Amino acid sequence: MASNAAVPFWRAAGMTYITYSNICANLVRNCLKEPHKSEVISREKVHFAFSVWKEGKPLKPVTRSDSPQE
Amino acid sequence: MVIIPATTGQMGVLPGHVATIAELKPGVLSVHEGNDVKKYFVSSGFAFIHANSYADIIAVEAVPVDQIDSAAVQKGLADFTQKLNTATTDLEKAEAQIGIDVHSALNAAITG
Repeated sequence: MASNAAVPFWRAAGMTYITYSNICANLVRNCLKEPHKSEVISREKVHFAFSVWKEGKPLKPVTRSDSPQE
Repeated sequence: MVIIPATTGQMGVLPGHVATIAELKPGVLSVHEGNDVKKYFVSSGFAFIHANSYADIIAVEAVPVDQIDSAAVQKGLADFTQKLNTATTDLEKAEAQIGIDVHSALNAAITG
């Protein structure tokens, strides 16, 4: 008995709430005056490593990062 | 009193408000204490109003309105209006629409 009420346009386009909320947050961060903008601009940056597992063992880890590699 | 930018419209919350969970849209949250008003721009999020008259505001970004840069807002609004015209996929259109909504709300916050 699912409701057919209108869904938000972003969900209709296949986006999740978290994606929508993070996009909104980034747009707001980019519209700040200095020095506030420099302080917060790094909040968007992510740095993580993950490995695909096969037959109970991890394969080589892949690193995704917004920060320049040292 | 607090006025929160709920997706269903501006909602005024006084002590004794019925317990509510409201989804927020990008907009101004204003806190009124006597004659003193503090305005914050919230990027999106939720407001939880509890039965004991406490309210929690959950937002990824909430900034005092005087930290918003007007030139960046105008440029963003123009950029995303342009992007909406050239967008082809649903996702591009959604992203452009989000850009327009957020920048329009930012604009209203600094000019209101």
